Amino acid sequence: MLQFISHYTEKYSYLDSICLALQGGCRWIQLRMKDATDEEARPVAIEAQKLCREYGATFIIDDRVALVKELQADGVHLGKNDMPIAEARRVLGPDYIIGGTANTIWDVKAHYAAGVDYIGCGPFRFTTTKQKLSPVLGLEGYRQIIIKMRAAHIDIPIVAIGGITKDDIPAILATGITGIALSGTVLRAANPIDEMKHLTNIVNHE
Amino acid sequence: MKVTINNKEHVTQANTVSELAAQLQLPAKGVAIAIDNELKPRTFWDDTILHEGASITIIKAACGG
Repeated sequence: MLQFISHYTEKYSYLDSICLALQGGCRWIQLRMKDATDEEARPVAIEAQKLCREYGATFIIDDRVALVKELQADGVHLGKNDMPIAEARRVLGPDYIIGGTANTIWDVKAHYAAGVDYIGCGPFRFTTTKQKLSPVLGLEGYRQIIIKMRAAHIDIPIVAIGGITKDDIPAILATGITGIALSGTVLRAANPIDEMKHLTNIVNHE
Repeated sequence: MKVTINNKEHVTQANTVSELAAQLQLPAKGVAIAIDNELKPRTFWDDTILHEGASITIIKAACGG
């Protein structure tokens, strides 16, 4: 599974990036507009959700629990400094996907106990997308977390995130990680649609 | 047939993703399903045939919180 996290460059807006990802075959989109207000994010989210519905893609929004509920998006992704998972679950109820960022097995266990549906786990390596960064995990970090999750019978999907390029994908999935979240690497390609097609092919055939 | 769902082995009589979703009593909202890593839009669930050994991932809003 591939999750695309919206991003912007000089060339592409947030919406452009989502459109390119969908055209490239990605069916799981996270709208992340970290520095925007809800008022600024709302019109983008409405358009992004429309696009995702057209393509049958799952649409989640980073951090903005109230906006997710208002727009009836598919779910929310919560970072470490966002609303706690349990509180988001109380607000949204059982009909929304809630994802949570984890850097350690303790984070995973705490999120699982709080009712999270999937884990975004990273960073795989150093990345420029996020300014505040936890220690990098690498392949061995993922292996250890997967082993401990299985031992604890935690069977929710876990998506790797953070500075991942296409050459990393086979080795990451071989650790038992369920999916890959990508942001910057797609838009930096000369042809982002072809790049996304190539990436979905790699992920879907591992 | 035998399939794996979120890394656990299951035996299912379901032939399609729709049948599997019904069998597992998945809710109408807040669910995403991938077969062999590929996310399947809900509109494709009727037409997506399961095969022996399929690796199925279900992202499901936790029931009851």
